Amino acid sequence: MKVKTLIKVVAICAGGLLLTACAHKRPDDESAINQANAAYGVNGSDAGEAHGLGNGTNFSDQAGGGSLLSHRVYYFDFDSNVVRDGDKPAIDANAHYLMNHPHMAVSVQGNTDPRGSREYNIGLGERRAKAVEAILLSDGVNAEQIHIVSFGAEKLASFGRTEADYQLDRRVVLVYR
Amino acid sequence: MRFRVKILSLFVTLLALCWLPAAFGMLSMELTHGVTSAIPIAVPPFAGEQAPGQEAIASIIGNDLKNSGRFKTQDQRAGANYAVAGSVTQVGDQYDVNVKLIDLFQNNGQALFTQHYTVTASQWRAVAHHISDLIYEQITGTRGVFSTKIAYVVVNRANLANVRYDLEVADQDGYNPRPLLDSPEPIMSPSWSPNGHEVAYVSFEDQHASIYIEDVTTGARHLLTDYEGINGAPAWSPDGKQLALVLSKSGSPNIYVMDIASKHLTQVTHDIYINTEPAWSADGQSLLYTSDRGGGPQIYQINLATGSSQRLTFDGSYNARASFTRDGKYIAMIHRVDGIYSIAMQNLDTGTVQVLSGVDGNTSSPSVAPNSSMVLYDVYMNGRNMLGMVSSDGRIQLVLPARNGDAQDPAWSPFLS
Repeated sequence: MKVKTLIKVVAICAGGLLLTACAHKRPDDESAINQANAAYGVNGSDAGEAHGLGNGTNFSDQAGGGSLLSHRVYYFDFDSNVVRDGDKPAIDANAHYLMNHPHMAVSVQGNTDPRGSREYNIGLGERRAKAVEAILLSDGVNAEQIHIVSFGAEKLASFGRTEADYQLDRRVVLVYR
Repeated sequence: MRFRVKILSLFVTLLALCWLPAAFGMLSMELTHGVTSAIPIAVPPFAGEQAPGQEAIASIIGNDLKNSGRFKTQDQRAGANYAVAGSVTQVGDQYDVNVKLIDLFQNNGQALFTQHYTVTASQWRAVAHHISDLIYEQITGTRGVFSTKIAYVVVNRANLANVRYDLEVADQDGYNPRPLLDSPEPIMSPSWSPNGHEVAYVSFEDQHASIYIEDVTTGARHLLTDYEGINGAPAWSPDGKQLALVLSKSGSPNIYVMDIASKHLTQVTHDIYINTEPAWSADGQSLLYTSDRGGGPQIYQINLATGSSQRLTFDGSYNARASFTRDGKYIAMIHRVDGIYSIAMQNLDTGTVQVLSGVDGNTSSPSVAPNSSMVLYDVYMNGRNMLGMVSSDGRIQLVLPARNGDAQDPAWSPFLS
């Protein structure tokens, strides 16, 4: 009676909260991506974004395909170049985009956190970029469309030097040209 | 080899050729740890004229000696072991500088040396540093490095969306910074030619790594390598004819030696691991390098004639970026202990590793002074990257923060004639 009504009200409110949370999710992803790409200050990234979203009509039949494509920053554990399972659908979406747009090229950019020797970090960053490249290639992307760059620890994503900051630094970013 | 000329790289080249205002980097130098047995030396102001707009010669000499950590400077002779006495006289647009060094305890107060120079105002700091070199060598027996220079990168991250990178060259005390390159993309790993005329470095101005060689005096530069993948860690051979470097065109980073004149490449390492950071032995016969073929980065030495490598470091799980001291008996390197990346020196005879830098923060890019007395490096402290110097016994420490931005990736010049 009263309790049942209460439960219904709570359930409806919770549902409403969930919906609003989902509605706000996409802009947060977008701004995080823009921030991450902004760390590069590269003309290409903006042009790439515009291209990607502008030709988004190809993905109208794929629910959520658009947001997968725009997920282009993949994070890594300390001392690891293992691509996280959660990132693979987004990498696959970008692979399909590249296969559908053979004139487009992507720069796969590897990064590390700032600890340790700079040139050794260049090597680590390249390993991470190559791990993402391997998925793109096995999805069927033409190797000519992929350029690997390692920035090592030279393009940090974050100001700070805590573990949370280091996690933001250890990433591979796809930048379309 | 790819070569793409873009508007951006042309713009960057133009900046490399013209001198930007000296306010850019401007390092300051601060002694943080000196030796308690520092030698007291009197360096009172020189008698006579002072070049307008210049720091007093005695002040430059005093700071040089004090910042070496080996001397305690004062004005009065009482309590000092040595005294410097000098005078300056202006003659037209030049200055006659006279100086003598006196041993107050021995030699009956006679001068250990007397020197006379005629200099222009633009040579003011140079002659002061030269006098400091003479004093230092006379008293310690080791050649001074006060007339050497340092190259380093300054990064301005005030705006994460518009980061600027500057490669600069300055006097070893941080004065007279001159930019070699200003770029919106990273610059790394400056390396001096043995005659001190050129600096090789890695630039990402084309959104990938390339190695350039630039004339320090004129700013003129040329592209050396632009292969697919990594182009990194350039290191000049002792005879100035070759550059050791890292390329990943084989599929993973390997060490190569390039003949600079012919651009002929010889591959030195041939595996699938990360091989990087080559550093030459003084005789040019072998290279130190970092490799993680053993599971984590360690230092190896390869004989260039035979191609055989041996591992040098066995202490700790992370050793990288090694370089020899002048006598070849020690290597300076990055050595991780308990998660902190420090500068350490390993005795190659005994294998003993001594950590030199404090535990203030993580360090990188050690570079040994040409007299092997000090190691220059960068360290993250107080929320920013700055340069540091530590003596080869760890007792003397200095920091050189940039006025604006992060200073990093330094390289000490050779002795400059």
